[in-house]
Amino acid sequence: MIHGVGGKTLWIDLTRGVIEKRPLDEEMINEYLLGAGYLSRVLFDNIPVGIDPLSEKNVLGMATGLLTGSMFPQASRHVIAALSPLTDVWGESHAAGFWGAELKFAGYDAIIFTGASANPVYLNIRDDVVELLDAEDAGVWGKDVFETDDILKSKHGRKIRILSIGPAGENLVRFAAIMNDRDRASARSGLGAVMGAKKLKAVSVRGTGKLTVADPANYLKQMDVFHKRMMANPFTPGRIKYGTTSLVELMQHIGRLPSYNMKQGVFDGFEKISGDAINEKYLVKARADFSCLQRCGRYTAVRTGPYAFEGGAPEFETQSSMGSRCGNDNLESVLFGHHLSNQYGMDTISLGATISWAMEAWDEGLLTGDDTGGIDLSWGNHETVVNLTRMIAFREGFGDILAEGSARAAERIGRGTERFVMAVKKQEIAGQEPRAQKSMGLAAVTAARGADHLYAFPVLDEAGFDDEIRERFGKEYLPEMADRLNPKYKGIMVKECEDFMVMVESVGLCKYGTQIPPEFFYNDIALALKIHNGLDMKGGDLQIIGERIVNLNRLFNARLGITREDDCLPDRLTKDKAPLGPSAGEVVELDLMLDEYYRERGWALESGLPTEKTLKRLGLTKEGKEVGLL
Amino acid sequence: MTELKFVFGDPRVCSGCMTCSNTCSMYYYKVISPERARNRVLRIEPALDFPLFCRNCEDAPCIAACPEQAITRTSKGVVIVNNKKCLSHGECVKACPYHAIRIHPDTGKAFKCIQCGQCVDRCPADAIFMTTERELAERDKDGSMRGLYEKHREEIYDKEEGL
Repeated sequence: MIHGVGGKTLWIDLTRGVIEKRPLDEEMINEYLLGAGYLSRVLFDNIPVGIDPLSEKNVLGMATGLLTGSMFPQASRHVIAALSPLTDVWGESHAAGFWGAELKFAGYDAIIFTGASANPVYLNIRDDVVELLDAEDAGVWGKDVFETDDILKSKHGRKIRILSIGPAGENLVRFAAIMNDRDRASARSGLGAVMGAKKLKAVSVRGTGKLTVADPANYLKQMDVFHKRMMANPFTPGRIKYGTTSLVELMQHIGRLPSYNMKQGVFDGFEKISGDAINEKYLVKARADFSCLQRCGRYTAVRTGPYAFEGGAPEFETQSSMGSRCGNDNLESVLFGHHLSNQYGMDTISLGATISWAMEAWDEGLLTGDDTGGIDLSWGNHETVVNLTRMIAFREGFGDILAEGSARAAERIGRGTERFVMAVKKQEIAGQEPRAQKSMGLAAVTAARGADHLYAFPVLDEAGFDDEIRERFGKEYLPEMADRLNPKYKGIMVKECEDFMVMVESVGLCKYGTQIPPEFFYNDIALALKIHNGLDMKGGDLQIIGERIVNLNRLFNARLGITREDDCLPDRLTKDKAPLGPSAGEVVELDLMLDEYYRERGWALESGLPTEKTLKRLGLTKEGKEVGLL
Repeated sequence: MTELKFVFGDPRVCSGCMTCSNTCSMYYYKVISPERARNRVLRIEPALDFPLFCRNCEDAPCIAACPEQAITRTSKGVVIVNNKKCLSHGECVKACPYHAIRIHPDTGKAFKCIQCGQCVDRCPADAIFMTTERELAERDKDGSMRGLYEKHREEIYDKEEGL
């Protein structure tokens, strides 16, 4: 018997209103773990080809990891996946908080939603009692994320943990987020719109159960060792002090801070939107999620003026997307914009990137007041950034076009605005100007969910992790692999990082503590799975599982027609030299890195798809045949 | 002024991570379960995380309330429950002004924090500490920390919530 899990999964047919409880498939754990791996399998098997992501045929999965709810540092996370309405391919997103652990205490490891409800509903879970309730009767449909949290707490009790969409999800904004615990976001891939299309407003959970562990006698002793290592890591004090906000300064320093829609990687106003600027005037508190020792969560307040608010905000990504990317150095507008995005339930990366696309088109004279309804899209117009945040969430005026994301908006408007779309597979590139860190350019194109820094999160060349590179790859890969501007060995690095990161998402841990800082690696996680779950796996077994998940994600996309041709960056990043800053003169040598990556993966160079040998090795021949690769 | 010890925490510093509760339920009951921890952690917006423990009242109402005399104070000043005597009446739960003694969902017996300090050692935010009324008054000279408990007493000591 496996320990440390809820032990059941919920299958909710929203069309018929039928709730089914199934035992957790323990055999699947041996091949896919839980979390991201579990969803890669279930959704590959259950999402038909050729469907509209916003139709009732899409399947929305939410899963915790094997260690979610454990005492391992940062074991707070859950994963959500579906066919993405933004990219039309694999959609996946993750968040921390308390909701995942609570779901486990209620006795469930995952929830799979099929069909769509005719009327707005929410799923309410109180241990064994699971019910679909009327979201209009409860007064939450049409409400924002914070109001929904307040209303459901007053209805079901203060200790209930709530995951919900806001107006953006209800209005099918293609980059709508799914929020939990008020300010935690499963932001990317537009999964909030999938919930909205299914008329599913929220999943509220109260769990009063317990997680048994495999080795109770040694549990605390071993967790103490993990905790001490995390607290002693030299990165931890900075993480507590700044969260991710000080990345603004670091990225400016290496020319990797996307500015003016990624025209350049440096921003003159960087100090005004920096981590220090936030700490000086706006930080109220650092807060944590379940079992989190690093507490990177920021709670900030702007006390007066048009941008007054109090709440969970921001992350580096927002400082970059709503700040430097829009040429905006008005910090209060960035903080408030992040707060509004939480309230309405939107991905701040795609939001800021879509606004900055429009700003560049405006700057080039390709968009005018006739298009925008008189809104001035000049670089740095913070009022516009904030106003458009509202207008996009409610699809008002020009916001209705932007709510489609930059790729679709450019397609509709035309006039050459397409060349300013900084996206891969229609998802906007996050806050890593790849000309200043080549591995990030490669990672953005290989990620299953479209442009993404987190699928691989290749940060080993970012901050001088030479020791880790020596340990994980061998000294022969130095110094090239550690050099962020050298494309050499980046294919090898991104492949290795992807395998590790999808495994981390399958056990419910955070990328902080596993990848940056790289404190815990495969063997540590194998040990945690042993004492918590009673699984007897070696680090090498976990690596193979990671590889299997990446390949199954690739097969999911291959089935939808994705090939090497789709693994491409905007011309600006591969052809135009970075104009300014410490990485001036650089382009992304994508083809070179891709060749190395595909070789390392065992994927064909021409198609970018897994070879027969690779599929056999990973036990995916049946799936390969289905996709037509064998 | 009493010298009775108890654990107390600053809701402005506590990060809400629940390491204290997880430590407690694992240490005493070999499971992870906030419901089975002898303390509670409650997040109250804006930005407060209350780590909640037995206050070790000098005139402990739980002792007087127990019809079985199952609750006593040890020579070291710790209020403990005798599981053999406890018959799950729940009178102690009703009597406690801090919702710091509850009925354990598995054993059916009353349970509470006994000031062992296991959680204090593991708090990653250094938000909780073993103290006495005298020490606390010294540490919280302006009364701002205790004031937050007073201000939010209806929410943090609400027994209707179950936990």
